[in-house]
Amino acid sequence: MPLGVNIMKTSLFLVIVLLSGAIAGAVHGGVNLAIVEPYLDTAIGIENQNLFASGEEEDTPEFWIEYDGYRTWQKGGQVLAGVILGISIGALFGIVFALSRQSLPGSNNVKKALILAGIMWLTIYFIPFLKYPANPPTVGDTETVVLRGILYLSFIAISGFGAMGFYKLSKKFERKAKLVSIIGYAAFITAVFLAMPENPDEISVSTNLVEGFRTASVLGVSSFWIVVAIMLGLLWDKLKPEQEITSSR
Amino acid sequence: MSESRQISVSKKGVPTIAILALGVIFAAGLFVVGFDQGHIFSLVYGEQAFDDLFIHELTHDMRHAAGFPCH
Repeated sequence: MPLGVNIMKTSLFLVIVLLSGAIAGAVHGGVNLAIVEPYLDTAIGIENQNLFASGEEEDTPEFWIEYDGYRTWQKGGQVLAGVILGISIGALFGIVFALSRQSLPGSNNVKKALILAGIMWLTIYFIPFLKYPANPPTVGDTETVVLRGILYLSFIAISGFGAMGFYKLSKKFERKAKLVSIIGYAAFITAVFLAMPENPDEISVSTNLVEGFRTASVLGVSSFWIVVAIMLGLLWDKLKPEQEITSSR
Repeated sequence: MSESRQISVSKKGVPTIAILALGVIFAAGLFVVGFDQGHIFSLVYGEQAFDDLFIHELTHDMRHAAGFPCH
């Protein structure tokens, strides 16, 4: 009788996951440089004008030399930070993909990875984004940054674990399993959405700036999820870190 | 001629050590880009790191763009 055992090459699996995350993160950083930076420059320009108006800073050549220095540092860090964040989120994506790959629909690993990326984009990025959307500089009180961080992270965790919980629960229902899990998760996350406190900070800059920034932000993050799925799927299909070994007994 | 291969088997076919390693990488990377306000460098430079905000400034633009609260 043939006996099948799945064997994962640990080093190869890690390389594939980290490489796909790093590439997707670099793309994310590049996309941000192209489409998010103009909004950041505008917002920081408003911040500077507010500093001059309040007397906290003076509009002097020295100020602009210092400003140019740290803005160059911040812009330069966009791609590096993208790679670090890409490796981080890519690591999570790799774990979930490896554990769920066999139950994901799709005829190859690229399709499977794209489906999983779509689910993760929705549950741990876009739905939390709808509750706590990205904001440009000038929006946000320094005093509330810890609270906002806790709220954002909590919502992501609740949404992610909630989706996982309803998926596990759906396995107990033989019929209409997908429908049960989707409706259950939708009801759960709607309740959480309504129950969680709002962002405490007021928005005092133009709606056009904030909405344009948020749209660019969503496009940037979405580019990451698309690229990480394609890269992981392609590398998985090409290098096959998991192989089934069959033997007769 | 013998061949040495690094393989590991777990219940679901995914090595536990790989999941642990990726879990640590996930948490560390998320903290660096999303939440560090001088904490990491304060281990070396003390209180000065909270004023310098070296990593905060490096990740500033990505932090805003990825939706993390920054300041």
